[in-house]
Amino acid sequence: MRNALAIAAREFEEKRFVAYAAVAFAILPFVLSVIPGLNGKSPQETIALSSLIFATGFGVALAVMIGANFVGRDLSDNRMSFYFSRPVSSASIWFGKLTAGLLMVVGCFAVIIAPAWLVAGRNWRSISSLSLENLSIWLLTVALSLFLVAHLISTFARSQSPWIVVDFAAAVVCGLAIRFLVIPLAAGQASVLISRLSVYLAGVFVVAFVGGGLWQLDRGRTDRRRNHLALSQFFWGTMAIALLLAASFVAWVVSVKVGDLTGSIRATRSTNGPFAVITGTARGRSDYHAAFLMNAEDGSTIRIDPRAEWGVRYTRDGRSAVVPRSTGNFADMLIYTRGKAEPADTGLNIDAGDYFVSDDGERIATISHPSILSVYDVVQKRSLASARLPASKYVRAFFVTPDVVRIYLNATEGMKIMELDVRSRGLHDTGFVQSPGFVYFYSDPAGAHMLVRKSHEDLLTLSDARTGAPITTLASGTQVKTARFLRDGRIAIVDGPESATVLHILSAAGAPQHDIPLGPVKSSIVVGDDGTRCVLAAEAAAGVRRLIAVDLTRGVIAQRVDKVVWVPPGTLDLRPPIEPLRDVFYGEFSDQKNHIVSWNPATGGKRRIV
Amino acid sequence: MTDSAINITDLTVRYGRTLAVDNVALNVAKGSVYALVGRNGAGKSSLVRCLLGEQKPEQGTSMLFGEDAWSRRAALMQRIGIVTEEADAPPEMKVSSIARFCSRLYDRWDQGSVETRLRTFGVPLSSRFGSLSKGQKKQVSLALALANSPELLVLDDPTLGLDVVARRSLFEEVIGDLADRGTTIFITTHDLAGVETFADRVGMMESGRLVLDEEVDALKSRFRRIRFAAQPAAIDATVLRTTVMRSWGAGAEAIVSNYDDLAFERMRSASNIGTAEVEAMSLEEIFIAISGGKS
Repeated sequence: MRNALAIAAREFEEKRFVAYAAVAFAILPFVLSVIPGLNGKSPQETIALSSLIFATGFGVALAVMIGANFVGRDLSDNRMSFYFSRPVSSASIWFGKLTAGLLMVVGCFAVIIAPAWLVAGRNWRSISSLSLENLSIWLLTVALSLFLVAHLISTFARSQSPWIVVDFAAAVVCGLAIRFLVIPLAAGQASVLISRLSVYLAGVFVVAFVGGGLWQLDRGRTDRRRNHLALSQFFWGTMAIALLLAASFVAWVVSVKVGDLTGSIRATRSTNGPFAVITGTARGRSDYHAAFLMNAEDGSTIRIDPRAEWGVRYTRDGRSAVVPRSTGNFADMLIYTRGKAEPADTGLNIDAGDYFVSDDGERIATISHPSILSVYDVVQKRSLASARLPASKYVRAFFVTPDVVRIYLNATEGMKIMELDVRSRGLHDTGFVQSPGFVYFYSDPAGAHMLVRKSHEDLLTLSDARTGAPITTLASGTQVKTARFLRDGRIAIVDGPESATVLHILSAAGAPQHDIPLGPVKSSIVVGDDGTRCVLAAEAAAGVRRLIAVDLTRGVIAQRVDKVVWVPPGTLDLRPPIEPLRDVFYGEFSDQKNHIVSWNPATGGKRRIV
Repeated sequence: MTDSAINITDLTVRYGRTLAVDNVALNVAKGSVYALVGRNGAGKSSLVRCLLGEQKPEQGTSMLFGEDAWSRRAALMQRIGIVTEEADAPPEMKVSSIARFCSRLYDRWDQGSVETRLRTFGVPLSSRFGSLSKGQKKQVSLALALANSPELLVLDDPTLGLDVVARRSLFEEVIGDLADRGTTIFITTHDLAGVETFADRVGMMESGRLVLDEEVDALKSRFRRIRFAAQPAAIDATVLRTTVMRSWGAGAEAIVSNYDDLAFERMRSASNIGTAEVEAMSLEEIFIAISGGKS
């Protein structure tokens, strides 16, 4: 300790000119504040800002300079023997020099920034949104980090050893390893975990640096190459162990099972088949959000890319789910099929655009920048046709047949309808729905007719789905809340005042069949049907939500579950599914626990999923 | 307690594929003066670094006063004074600051002797070390090395850069005086004439190997230069081992490494060699003869 202090004092003495320079830079802002034309809004602001700038510039430059020289220069100039020929240990030499270097950087920074503290003080917030304390700590952290990095690079470079190639490779490997650690956590929105990982790695870096410096002088002593080798081995060895531990932890974090989920539980439940996506956080895994594709039929789950939560598409036949898996700026498209343990890679990847899946999942239509529509064949793994679409902010589409994709584009004065024929590779305008506002529509199973509502008028029409031409008006001025086709082609409409809402069941041609009073309903959505029952998610009053199963034969409410939050399908289905609705998911959310429950509208039975 | 100040066994140092020190063993008794000579690149500096615990040998040990130089370096340095080949003190520091800094590191320190010595050789204490001449730097190093009254003084080519006066002072006053007081001295040098008078033992390194390690008196007594007035017949190698044989005027000159008066006389009478003049050799001459005539 005594020797370390003696060495630190010697280093200070040798570099005392640095302190003189710091004092000069501390005075300079006061000089600038009295120079006309340089004093800004006020002399105080000039002093504060200029001292901050000087402290930053001087601090960073000094940190790099001292970091690069405090050991490296003695080694390269063959002067380390001055210390090693004295009765001082390697630890005393290292900690003496390190202490002096760090204190010089911190001290000079403090001296130069002192005027900003003295003059600006509590008024600093009027100059910057970041507090002076935080700004100082941040800048100092940057300077000290550069100090450490400069020492590393200096030791490696000054040795003139070919071993530097290994260092470069190790640095690249470390960088890649950190990237691969962060990617799954970022995908799981684990910002807290990423912060903790950053703090952990920063701590390891400091330990590796301090320990490495001590090790290099103890093993390498006066020989610069042996110093390099020792530092390199210790530093990269420590980083490797730390990264392996971090990788093990991250692997454990992402290995979460659906049964481990305890918080922030969310779900989407497809109405096409048995698939659902469950997301949530788990105990001990902080804010990492895992996502699972669940087959509600058998309860099996597969872990999927957490970012895919809202990107999953389901085939209308209910057999498959297409799940994107992010790889940088692109996402690989994987197909999970019922009865198969492993997903199939489609061979297709897409950028930030949207995509639509054919009824059987064998074709995928993508819309990528700039509005290029492409149809891809999953079996052949090749693109079949593509075309540039007119510019539009909002595009909806579905496969009418495997060879025809119908596109509905928001246009200036309405909704443009187009079709891309894969066989002829032609894109054709097929129709237009005039509307100054947004056009809501829902197609029948065959894609022949559609229910059209416009945002600016209380009118529901049955229209030709290809041309947009109105066929008949189904409701006008009745406060339509929702309308859609059932699987058998019949039409379900909920309308009426909030106090006395009615579910109307109409034939495919629009002829009334049943009127079923629902009671007070503020808003509602038709979830789906199984042929005999139609399920609605309704909000009776503000915050009072319920699921209702209506017996279509008897025209009565058969089942009801109150005070629940309906789990939506996650995708915008434009046509009814092929398979009958088996169950509906809802959430039981409370301050204590969140659960996802499966409800059978036929029996009223409930089963907790998560 | 060990009688050795320095004990090196099986010492090997390698830099990549280059063998700098090859299985060297040597012993320096306490109170003796050992001179290690060798041409540049022979491995002397590597051996000294191992000796001082600055470098870990690939193989073998280097013991100082019975303790391992590598693992016990810091403690051992309290008992050792070192003058390195190259001046290694920080050039920005003043001489007085260097002395003050060093004084804090040693249990024993004679600041007066440092100042006296530097004044004697005209080294200003207020000067920056980097501004001093090579000889002055050496004087500073020497003054610092002696200030802790070392039991062992290691001098790595100490005369490099010294003028004649300083060199004489170093050898006659400093080393001679220290040797008389029982301080062990280990010196590597090219100045063989300087160490000849007081070195007890001499070692010679060549290509990393210690090719010679012998008492100076014994070494000098077995080497002789013999000048023959006429070309001699072949010399019986079993009697006199000839290191160098060359023409000298009408005759020849031979350097023998196992000279013995009786053996030589017997050979001369038996071979009818004729007139021959036998001369003793200096260490420098012996070194040149051993190293193959190349200086």
